[in-house]
Amino acid sequence: MNSSITSVKLVLLGEAAVGKSSIVLRFVSNDFTENKEPTIGAAFLTQRVNIGDETVKFEIWDTAGQERFASLAPMYYRNAQAALVVYDVTKPQSFIKARHWVKELHEQASKGIIIALVGNKIDVLESGEERKVAREEAEKLAEEENLLYFETSAKTGENVNEVFLAIGEKIPLKKAEDQANQQHGLRITDDQRIDLASSTNGPVKASGCNC
Amino acid sequence: MGLRSGSREMHQKEHTGTSGLYMGNHRSGSSSNLVSSLMKAWRISSVGSPSPPRQHIPPLDTSFSNDGNFEAISRQHTGAARKSTSSPLRYTSPGFSTNGNNVSRGESPRPSKSHGSRHHSSGNGSRKNVKYFKDLDEDWSAVIDDYNMPIPVMANGGVASPATPKATRSSSITTTPSNSTTGLASANATFSYPQLPHLQKSLSSELRSQLEQENERDAQELNSIMQRIAKFDAILKNKHIINQNELRQISWNGIPKPHRSVVWKLLIGYLPANSKRQQPLLKRKRKEYCDGLAHIFSDQHSRDVPTWHQIEIDVPRTNPHIPLYQFKSVQTSLQRILYLWAIRHPTSGYVQGINDLVTPFFQTFLTEYLPQAQIDDVEKLDPMTYMGQDQLKDVEADTFWCLTKLLEQITDNYIHGQPGILKQVKNLGQLVKRIDRDLYEHFQKENVQFIQFSFRWMNCLLMREFQMSAVIRMWDTYLSETSLDTATSSSLSSDLVPPHTPTEQMKATFQTPTKDFASPSSTSGIGGDEIARIRQSSLNEFHVFVCAAFLIKWSDQLMEMDFQEIITFLQNPPTKNWKDSDIEMLLSEAYIWQSLYKDATSHWQ
Repeated sequence: MNSSITSVKLVLLGEAAVGKSSIVLRFVSNDFTENKEPTIGAAFLTQRVNIGDETVKFEIWDTAGQERFASLAPMYYRNAQAALVVYDVTKPQSFIKARHWVKELHEQASKGIIIALVGNKIDVLESGEERKVAREEAEKLAEEENLLYFETSAKTGENVNEVFLAIGEKIPLKKAEDQANQQHGLRITDDQRIDLASSTNGPVKASGCNC
Repeated sequence: MGLRSGSREMHQKEHTGTSGLYMGNHRSGSSSNLVSSLMKAWRISSVGSPSPPRQHIPPLDTSFSNDGNFEAISRQHTGAARKSTSSPLRYTSPGFSTNGNNVSRGESPRPSKSHGSRHHSSGNGSRKNVKYFKDLDEDWSAVIDDYNMPIPVMANGGVASPATPKATRSSSITTTPSNSTTGLASANATFSYPQLPHLQKSLSSELRSQLEQENERDAQELNSIMQRIAKFDAILKNKHIINQNELRQISWNGIPKPHRSVVWKLLIGYLPANSKRQQPLLKRKRKEYCDGLAHIFSDQHSRDVPTWHQIEIDVPRTNPHIPLYQFKSVQTSLQRILYLWAIRHPTSGYVQGINDLVTPFFQTFLTEYLPQAQIDDVEKLDPMTYMGQDQLKDVEADTFWCLTKLLEQITDNYIHGQPGILKQVKNLGQLVKRIDRDLYEHFQKENVQFIQFSFRWMNCLLMREFQMSAVIRMWDTYLSETSLDTATSSSLSSDLVPPHTPTEQMKATFQTPTKDFASPSSTSGIGGDEIARIRQSSLNEFHVFVCAAFLIKWSDQLMEMDFQEIITFLQNPPTKNWKDSDIEMLLSEAYIWQSLYKDATSHWQ
């Protein structure tokens, strides 16, 4: 049994109230709260997922979205290996903001940072609300800027784990010998593993992550 | 024992000092001796003594292998409840223990077992500290005795609803160690107080006399609560001019619920001290608020859509766990208050966190319209069931003006770049470095930056860290700590320029003659020195000390944690069961630190 762990520092960026904290809450504890208090400063959470023989431990900084707090963001993305840039598919303004974040990350963050563009709240489209950010537009941005791209619903859980799994797969995994120093006696059991084959479509069951 | 007399001296000095001014305003004193001996004792206890029995926290990686973060958090909570030993200065508060001993008071919170083992295992220095802290507490109560208040705690209005045992119980909790000898037994008796007459019949005479004694003590406590209410009545009622300083002194230790609404308005400088002017002022300010609303919702004003929208999404997620804030009427009120404030203060604009700060005012002012017995239901009832639209508008207006007053004192927290907060975070770090170097160095070792956990503490005045009832008790003290600048400067002398905030110019149409906020009594007999001191005592500064006390409270636990555990713990501190007494403990600690480390703050201004 291989038990190497790769830590991934990940930061969430995006306009206020697009669902950053909700995405993290879904990923970390498979939960959803309709009215979450606005994040102030930033919140820190962790979650592990198993990808193949590897365990990826996400160390997540969930930043506050309001413009006034934006000056804090560099502190959190400076050393990040991955970023989720989140927007709300019903709020065009939030997509404009997402473009800005992508630009800023490319200019300021570490060179190899893996960025996922995430259009959240797709569940409301089914309840009749109008989509305001076209898939094609987002796909185009993702292609131009070399981003991963997902549309998610933190409310239903749709695609949330997939975002993190995709990032985990793109992270260059550490070699086993590097890990030797960092082992803390982690045991991974088979039932914790994420079955990638079955999680390509639709909401992922709770077994997808360790929550 | 040197410490003991030292602390007495210092406090005596303060009391016999200059004037009748509230202790908070002249706490300088020559405390350098005390500081150095305290630091010495501190060093001994933190370095020399074997660590107190600590719950072993398994290495994070193993403990996290099977569960997500949240389980880890809850484990930390229970872990925290178990490990309630701490060095005496890192006091443990009663409510902290979740397993039942919540009604203990004074020194009793520490479980006797761990208390004892602490005594035996730790060296001389620690013993000193035990004494030392007790003495400070004694002095603390002595301060209160000066004002003829046997028991300094009076936060829930107590007598207002004698039928509820809960009220009696919490009012029996006190930070005065002079009562601590009565300990648990008395607290328990207080708990069952309403049933005592029945119980007595079936009890042995010995037990009966014990109960009678306790009964008597309860009566005394009730008595002191009533005295306290009477004290507030004496300050507030039938007075042409209310003595602001007296009010600040007494309010620092908690305001009875029935008085709270009015007292807050006085403390913040909204209501004038001259009682004849109060009604006309309220009438005018409420009208002014309505006019302001009418203006910004008229055709002459184009809606600031991003601001409106931001507030619109934040209002429903303000205090989502309290039913009051889910009512449409309340949300509409908050929306209007926040939007008008944002429009009137464009330098700052609406910043998340201000939506938190508005709520203690709002719900406290609502209580004015509830019968005393129902004050505790304010968080459950839709205001529209017990008040009219016009009255709600009045509450809204009062809330708006008091929020404005509060934010005037912390403007720098919300302007671009939030320099006020950054400064406070820096000050907190420096303070902790001086007070608890071990913890500071541990944070450095673990790469924990103060801004990572304390930004929110500053931005929301610790509101996110406590339940609302605790926050409101805290605000009794905070509002007593607000700078009197706005209240006094203009009345002191007409050519003194009122504090100038960047937003000042923008308020032209809203500007009221500042004399309305003046309190003649608060300036009478106050010389330039006192004014200077009052100015120095700012809410911002005190808040940093409260944050320091709050952080150091968990020091023993934090020392055992790594980066991830520290951040997770501080994001979710186990304060859910905190009672007024816990908050009072924290505030007292902060007050003590502030008087001991006054020199540290000299360059903060």
